[in-house]
Amino acid sequence: MTSIGTGYDLAVSTYSPDGRLFQVEYAEKAVDNSGTAIAIRTKDGVIIAVEKIVSTVLEIPGSSRRIFPIDHHIGFGSSGWVPDIKRLIGIARDEAWEHRKSYQMPIPPKMLADRVALYIQAYTLYSSLRPFGASPMMAGMHGDEPYLYLFETSGAYYGYWGCATGKAKQLAKTEIEKLDLSNLSTRDAVKEAARIIHTVHDDSKDRLFELEMSWVCKESEGKFTRVPQDLYNEAVEYAKHSNNDDMDDDEEL
Amino acid sequence: MFRNQYDNDASTWSPQGRIFQIEYATEAVKQGSAVVGLRSKTHAVLVAIKRSPNELASYQKKIIKIDKHMGIGIAGLTSDARVLSNFLRTQAMNYRMTYDRQLPIGRAMESLSTKAQENTQNYGGRPYGVGLLAIGKDSKGPHLFEFNPSAITPEYYAYSIGSRSQTARTYLEKSYEEFQDLPLNELIIHGLKALRDTLPQDKQLDVLNTSIAYIGDDSDFTLIDGEKTQTYLELLDSSMDAMEVE
Amino acid sequence: MNSTEILNLKNQDVTENGTYKHTLQPIVTGTSVLGLKYKDGIMLAADCIASYGSLARFRNVQRLHPVGKATILAGSGDMSDFQHVQNLLEGVMLQEHCFDDEQEIGTKSIYKILSNVMYSRRTKVDPLWNKFIVAGIENGESFLGYVDLYGTTYQSPVIATGFGSHIAIPILRKYAEPRASDLTEAEASEILDNCMRVLYYRDARSFNKIQKAKVTSAGIEITEPYSLSTNWDFAESIRGYGA
Repeated sequence: MTSIGTGYDLAVSTYSPDGRLFQVEYAEKAVDNSGTAIAIRTKDGVIIAVEKIVSTVLEIPGSSRRIFPIDHHIGFGSSGWVPDIKRLIGIARDEAWEHRKSYQMPIPPKMLADRVALYIQAYTLYSSLRPFGASPMMAGMHGDEPYLYLFETSGAYYGYWGCATGKAKQLAKTEIEKLDLSNLSTRDAVKEAARIIHTVHDDSKDRLFELEMSWVCKESEGKFTRVPQDLYNEAVEYAKHSNNDDMDDDEEL
Repeated sequence: MFRNQYDNDASTWSPQGRIFQIEYATEAVKQGSAVVGLRSKTHAVLVAIKRSPNELASYQKKIIKIDKHMGIGIAGLTSDARVLSNFLRTQAMNYRMTYDRQLPIGRAMESLSTKAQENTQNYGGRPYGVGLLAIGKDSKGPHLFEFNPSAITPEYYAYSIGSRSQTARTYLEKSYEEFQDLPLNELIIHGLKALRDTLPQDKQLDVLNTSIAYIGDDSDFTLIDGEKTQTYLELLDSSMDAMEVE
Repeated sequence: MNSTEILNLKNQDVTENGTYKHTLQPIVTGTSVLGLKYKDGIMLAADCIASYGSLARFRNVQRLHPVGKATILAGSGDMSDFQHVQNLLEGVMLQEHCFDDEQEIGTKSIYKILSNVMYSRRTKVDPLWNKFIVAGIENGESFLGYVDLYGTTYQSPVIATGFGSHIAIPILRKYAEPRASDLTEAEASEILDNCMRVLYYRDARSFNKIQKAKVTSAGIEITEPYSLSTNWDFAESIRGYGA
């Protein structure tokens, strides 16, 4: 890597001669090292699926979740450095609540995205801070309209129909691109999301993982909740069936 | 002097996306003597090895009560642990005053995580150099959590931290499934067995260096120290003898 | 004190001798609320009126407010302060929701939070001008508690605020309190209806359009507003009453 040893990559307040902020790029590496997270937006909802890598059998299944509710109608899915993510989650919750308090109305997802992004960006300005090692995705509803945003470590964010971060983001993106997103039902999107996480999970590198799925959609009455257990099971069945050839059946904890 | 350019402070990412200062702080945890934690459906247990700096000194305190329903075992920088236990006690008291009930242990760990994360993102600070195993109970029964310098707080069936704790973990990984239905006594014995595995060849568990604590559906946080540990050490010996006979 | 609080202080009315005036009286008010324990849980009643002085200003106001899955807050006194408290508790419950850890707080905690708020405001001599009843079920146990603008709290099998504490309490003490553990739902309902009816006859700030609410092991149920039957024949014989 050309950046190493130049001295231009030690603080986020320093540009390299060709105009890059290496510390922001390094923070992105932390994201690339963590479990894959994907999100799919359909006509009436958004589904987030996360591959939570488990390092030991001693860890209790279902603990340390990586999908977080922010408000009743908004949630975050995440890949990256967990403590950093939690910090951002705290910020997002405060912003969402401040809006509710001031306007007696749920915050529009777009507005929340904007504020969280500004916060991430502020941590790319000073040598005394380091950028967040997190690239969270945000799912929310505004009325009947679903919204999905993905934040980058620089503080940039974009709206998506489908997005992926973490270890296998490239592979996951390719899989999402194959889907017919404008016609996919939200229930089918849940199944496809489960399949994609199972497909991109690398058994040889990380033996154990848990699939976490939450959604916000018409069926969940505009609330960001965990995918109902029966649908979750159905989706996992579907995922295993679809990946029969290249997957063993020991991914369930 | 430094191992590389990126390990001076917690506010610098390495090119691989690592924060070396956090990893070094984790090494400080490994300098401390071991703590083992484990739980069944009804109880959670901590056992720890206490060290003494010399013959004239007392043994260090390894297990600290936080509240009636919560306690921690520590490994690493004791002074940092005191700051954190003080923080947890304050949280627990404030929660009682505000909500008229016990602070759920998961939430206690969450607030600890939030506090510790701040030390890992700003220049001039350092991550806490201590690891904790926390046991506690709430409406869902007993729990065991870990806290480490990275501010991650996972929940476990059984876990160990501190010096040579990997050997204890190996034992726990092998046997954690059978812990679930065990009575308190046997749970403690399993804990002591795991703890003994972390000792060097020439060291033994005895009434001076062993600390035991537990919490259960029908019992508050209870610390067993000194002479009172004798019963359990004898139980440990007899169960080891029984194993050898087999 | 942070900067916003200092700003707020400066905006308060300052009297000639340099002291601060906070709320000195309620403005838009709700009258009595009643609560009793019965066999299956807790039942509450309140009418639907919010008065502006002696003007019957708003006649379709809900004063029984659900909080979480098994708690109801009944509010009398200043309606804007009541709404403020509702918002405050919404924040608490949203925070609980976000924890997502199946440890959601119950009735006793909500009562404690509210008591703390009421007492701390009164200590600042800037009270929320209300008398509240908090009712619910937590861990299978019925809870009925009172807290007011002074931060005074008590728990009892029967509670009434405002005019009700004079007029309804004797009725509740006679018919509900001794039988709290075996009172049926229908009986509880009838007792509350009767109390509300007597209050309507005697309390000029009351109304015969009322709501009732109950908390049982099945959860919360709040009735639609309905009208109590009244009979004013007796008024004829009382000098100075009505006609």
